[in-house]
Amino acid sequence: MVRNRKRELYEKIVETIFLLCALVGVISVIAIIIFVFYKGLHPFFGTDAYSFWDFISGTRWAPGSDTYGVFYMIAASVLATAGAMVVGVPIGVLTAVFIAELAPKRAVKWMRPAVELLAGIPSVLYGAFGLGIIVPMIQVISPRAHGHSLLAVIIVLTVMVLPTIITLSESAIRAVPKSYKEASLGMGATQIQTIFKVVLPAAKSGILSALVLGIGRAIGETMAVMMIAGNPVQGIPNSIWSMVRPLTTNIAMEMSYSSGRQQEMLFATGVILFLFIMIVNLTLLRITHKAGEK
Amino acid sequence: MSRKGKDNIVKGAIYASAGFTVFVLIAIIGFVLVKGLPGISISFLTRNYENKTTYVTVTAVTNLHTEDLQSGYIDPLGITLKVNEDGKLEITGIDKDSPCKDALNLKGISYPVKKGDLVASVTPLNDTTMKMKVIRPGGGIVPMIVTTLYMILLSLIIAAPIGILSAIFLIEYAKPGKLRNIIHFAIENLAGIPSIIYGLFGSLFFVKLCQLKYSILAGALTLSIILLPTIITTTEETLKAIPKSYRESSLGLGATKLQTIRRVVLPNALSGILVAVILSVGRIVGESAALLLTAGTVAQIPKALFGNSASGATLTIKMYTLMKEENDLTTACAIGIVLLVIIIVLNFASKTVTKKLLSRKSV
Repeated sequence: MVRNRKRELYEKIVETIFLLCALVGVISVIAIIIFVFYKGLHPFFGTDAYSFWDFISGTRWAPGSDTYGVFYMIAASVLATAGAMVVGVPIGVLTAVFIAELAPKRAVKWMRPAVELLAGIPSVLYGAFGLGIIVPMIQVISPRAHGHSLLAVIIVLTVMVLPTIITLSESAIRAVPKSYKEASLGMGATQIQTIFKVVLPAAKSGILSALVLGIGRAIGETMAVMMIAGNPVQGIPNSIWSMVRPLTTNIAMEMSYSSGRQQEMLFATGVILFLFIMIVNLTLLRITHKAGEK
Repeated sequence: MSRKGKDNIVKGAIYASAGFTVFVLIAIIGFVLVKGLPGISISFLTRNYENKTTYVTVTAVTNLHTEDLQSGYIDPLGITLKVNEDGKLEITGIDKDSPCKDALNLKGISYPVKKGDLVASVTPLNDTTMKMKVIRPGGGIVPMIVTTLYMILLSLIIAAPIGILSAIFLIEYAKPGKLRNIIHFAIENLAGIPSIIYGLFGSLFFVKLCQLKYSILAGALTLSIILLPTIITTTEETLKAIPKSYRESSLGLGATKLQTIRRVVLPNALSGILVAVILSVGRIVGESAALLLTAGTVAQIPKALFGNSASGATLTIKMYTLMKEENDLTTACAIGIVLLVIIIVLNFASKTVTKKLLSRKSV
């Protein structure tokens, strides 16, 4: 009896340890949110408060003269992400179609590892590629004197979101039941018609979550973008040749030497970024849950 | 337009897209190779980053002065010198019984002079000993490799047990319901947070509040949170794939739940857990934004876990600072080649393990 009770107690203790480990993830999320929001919202309250409207609508970032405007950074982040999606999604989905439907087996054997490798390349390496190839190339064709530009950011982000979009779209396409395709082909549709009229619509929710994950990756990307964006202190980007300063690079550029209000403002930038990510995450959850219900 | 013509245009677009993807990969790898290969050498992989100047005392009966040094064999010291490209005297050969091998630094600790060191000056101290200024040239990435290894070890020591135990809890213990949903919701959200936000959190919480300073421990703790979703999800998938009958037969034989997990579930999940670890290593090696804000950018081997001398740049961080602050694309791309090799090896390893896993399952 005693031994049994001892064993039961032991089992109970171990289970509690397992539970505590599982709670680490939850605690981390809560801690991250509390710390970032507390520090980031701090400058907008109290006696020496900075106007939140000036912060969110401002187009100049000059810590030296106590001016902190992030609107032009929001614009940069949104434009860069949108650009990368407009270019990256069609290329990614079509590549997925190639791998899942059209490619001969031998080509698939090569394409898969290629996409995996693309996914595994560290972002700093993408930055080097952007800095060494894309920026000099843009400098040649750009009407402005510099190659650091919104266009460079869009190109590099496009490449970086490709693996995400390809992998997820491919598995979504593969999950479409064979009978759908057979029925369409049997009715006399061509292979291409079947892909675009039957397979892709059936894989819609998977492709949609690929798109949303891609947005998350693009808007959160820091290091690669920092090297090629130019990071000006002011100005809403007015063409693809303009230098831009996305939210992420603003944080990474000044964090190491900032203090006081400037540092709090970097956390405030983080809060804005966090809000975007939350929207992305919630959208993603809704899509996947909807797909699950079906 | 005919149906066939339309189809062909679309087909062309599909092939072009796939071609673009492959082309981009080749372009990136090609660029890094072309730019970086000139920077790769044995000394790049084996040397310290900074030059290191040391004064040593050598026991040798000689009356040698700096002016006497020249290219050729220096008999009393048993070394061969040669003027290198920069006009410095480099040791190109060293005798087996050379007294330089028993050199002591000013603290009296053994500091054997090596081939490749530069001799800046020599001065006789007394009849039997002389002082020598030796410069050990840097330009290598050893500190970054060591820091990266430390970072991998430390992060995995923290994150792997927590992640694996979490997965076991979620699959083996937790009943479907609120708690499990909350934990899953948290993990899904963690996976979506960009690393710069983790960096912000780490720099505030671990670096400042816990007073770890810019250190490998602060970096590793931040990384651990980043790794949790990967480790938990991958382990969960593996546990889910283990047939229920395994557990039932073990429980039916009278084993307790914990015994079942230890003797039946975990042994069957090992290769899946290995895949989780490999994926984590890839993530650690590639991570930069979070480490930039928590582990610092100094090219040195960390001498402590936390505190003032504990900061260190990983390969990725050094690659970044080389480009951004020192404008040295060649060395940066040389590090890039090292990173590429690591990533390719890791991809290959995870593939091999997964294949083994699948082939065993089909038996």
